[in-house]
Amino acid sequence: MIIDSAVCLAGMADSAPTKAWLDQMARHAITHAVVAPADGYAAVYNEEGNALLARLVRRYPKQLSGLAVANPWLGTKAVGLLEKAFDDGLMGLFLCPPRQGFRLTESIVDPLLEVCCRRHKPVYAHTGTPICSEPFQLAELARRFPEVTFIMGHAAYPDFWYDVAGALQQAPNLLVETSCQVAAIIQQALDAVGPERVLFGSGWPRSKPGVEILKIRSMGLADDIFEKVMHTNAANCWGLKP
Amino acid sequence: MKIIDAHTHLPGWSFGSRPRPIRELRRAFEDEGLAGAWLFTTDGLLGEPARNNDILAEAVAEHRDFFAPFCTVNPLDGTDAAIRELDRCKSKLGMRGLKLHPWVQAFSMMHPAVEPVLAHAGNLGFPVIFHDGTPPYTSSLQIAALAEKAPQTTIILGHAGLDDLYEDAILACRRHPNIYLCLCSTSGGYSEQIIRHCPVERLLFGSDGGFMPNLIKLAIAKLHETDAPASVLRKIFYDNPQRLLPLPA
Ligand SMILES: [Zn+2]
Repeated sequence: MIIDSAVCLAGMADSAPTKAWLDQMARHAITHAVVAPADGYAAVYNEEGNALLARLVRRYPKQLSGLAVANPWLGTKAVGLLEKAFDDGLMGLFLCPPRQGFRLTESIVDPLLEVCCRRHKPVYAHTGTPICSEPFQLAELARRFPEVTFIMGHAAYPDFWYDVAGALQQAPNLLVETSCQVAAIIQQALDAVGPERVLFGSGWPRSKPGVEILKIRSMGLADDIFEKVMHTNAANCWGLKP
Repeated sequence: MKIIDAHTHLPGWSFGSRPRPIRELRRAFEDEGLAGAWLFTTDGLLGEPARNNDILAEAVAEHRDFFAPFCTVNPLDGTDAAIRELDRCKSKLGMRGLKLHPWVQAFSMMHPAVEPVLAHAGNLGFPVIFHDGTPPYTSSLQIAALAEKAPQTTIILGHAGLDDLYEDAILACRRHPNIYLCLCSTSGGYSEQIIRHCPVERLLFGSDGGFMPNLIKLAIAKLHETDAPASVLRKIFYDNPQRLLPLPA
């Protein structure tokens, strides 16, 4: 059983991108995927992205869960969008600072995180792009909201690999997702904070599931740790029922 | 399909690695699927380029059928010193190209020594491969700006924008006929976009092999997972590197 915690979908009004992703899931035996609205949906068309994704999740409940987007610059409107998206069945918040135009540490994001805290929803953040989405910036946020679970998306690939383990050590409520990043850094994270805080992701469509699964397989992890990374940790983090 | 890897490193003492006997490194590369490799220093990027050029040349002395060795120089040592070392690497060490890593070597592409070094490398017939994709010293367009000033020199963006800047790498490749992109450490979906939008004759396979185990195997799997047809992959994996720097392989 594989749970993929890093999938982005653009163009959801059209059926082709969704079908392409469902085909990938079937081909690579991915049992469940956590999907976020990509690009324009993340930046500007939050409401449309959330609504389209909520509809997809209702249509494919076994295969898909969804994350909501709400650009923090929308202020109180963003809070309303997020509450509505959670009411519609989305189960976490996706932050994409380079697309949404803010630094992870800026206080404009706080009202959204207060909603996540109150409603017990995890927060997945794209990381790895300077100067707005760095591991220690996300750790700072995780320390500001210790009751919220944060996921360091793409393990800060490409250039913040030096910081991954150190940032994880700063905040026990910070997890890391494996896509794009090289295996040695995933191993460092496992060594630094143990096997419960690493989640598999394919990074689709930036990366692809075949090579990402092969990467984790080629690490030679013990069976129980492999199972945690590929499945159990994500099930616990996202509250997915078996 | 035969594969030449245009981006590998001789393990040294830096970045958490240990030196490995060249015979063992070659066997590991062959086991992961390579017929040949362009080999760069690792330690020499952090200091003492000349000494590390000697180490690399000596290591590959009996393996020139498999490895094309690349030297490095540091433009911060001054134009004359860098050019003298390039000449020595060509005539005495038989090096075949130049590797530069402005981020780790701590020089800006706008440093006045860079342009003459690139022009001289071109005169020697050295392709020049750069680390790229990492601001503030190795943005793809920073390197492209110098490629424009050295049009006779083959310039390779060693990571094709390294994900964040892959679209800039595409722009650079399409604008400048002397720019090649090496699909090393570029994620699979972005690699697919690059293959779709760039002249395929100027794309190269690369893996950063030598740094960590399995990098080559995964980099090969990554390109096979794209939608590129076998005829295109054959150019990227073999025909293009073989045209630039023929190996007996
Ligand atoms: Zn490299």
